[in-house]
Amino acid sequence: MSASILLLCLASQFCLVTGQLLTKHAMNATNLSPKPWAQIVGRLSLGIVVLTGWFFIWAGLLQKKDLSYVFPFEGLSPVLIVLGASVFLREKPMWKAWLGVALISLGIAVVAAS
Amino acid sequence: MDFSQQIPTRSVMSSTTSQRWRQLPWWLNPYLAMALAILFVPAAEMLLKRGAMATALHHSTVAGLGVDVLSSGWTWLAIVCYIANFTCWLHALRYLPLYLAFSLLSSTHALVPLGCWWFLGESISLGRWAGIAIVLVGVVVIAGPAMKAEERL
Repeated sequence: MSASILLLCLASQFCLVTGQLLTKHAMNATNLSPKPWAQIVGRLSLGIVVLTGWFFIWAGLLQKKDLSYVFPFEGLSPVLIVLGASVFLREKPMWKAWLGVALISLGIAVVAAS
Repeated sequence: MDFSQQIPTRSVMSSTTSQRWRQLPWWLNPYLAMALAILFVPAAEMLLKRGAMATALHHSTVAGLGVDVLSSGWTWLAIVCYIANFTCWLHALRYLPLYLAFSLLSSTHALVPLGCWWFLGESISLGRWAGIAIVLVGVVVIAGPAMKAEERL
């Protein structure tokens, strides 16, 4: 895997995780009463913009490589999501969630080595 | 950036949101929305790959970005699937914690390669299959206990 492909994979992961955190933040706010509409629309819009960035980087990768070759790198995202949800959304995953994340990372390593 | 501002604590969120979705009609069940969101992913990815292959000979003017994939009808079908996926996903996110919802979504790591092999004729080595299987075990380890905890609430 070349450095530019790796960089594009990492950039797509960053956009995907940031976009999801913004989206979840917006949807959490829909459970508040009264609903803070300005905040919901603002965060959701920003989330969609960032996820659009992810879409085009991802489409660019698919033009260069087989889907089955680049898709396993998406496996990084659960790790980054659990970390991001813990830090920024203050979700408290159970200890097994961290074990699962370790397995996912191991799986990615096996995929990368194959 | 502190995303946690104005968000209730998890204990408040999990009890109130769990009770709330139980009062919804069956077709608004967040786990059903998650299942649909999951199925739309391999559909979208394979359509996008078709679109990307159809436009791969045109060289994009924007270095590294696949903007020219938009000239293929397959890509627009993929976008419809992404929108359907995103709508289901937003509904599920109202009621499920992000770490759980995203872990469930990771099961696409098995469905997408299976779809690539079945529909696109891409080959996948034994080692890569083994890696994908380990990723899936990780997903089950995360999602299993969390879903049981949801059921108990």
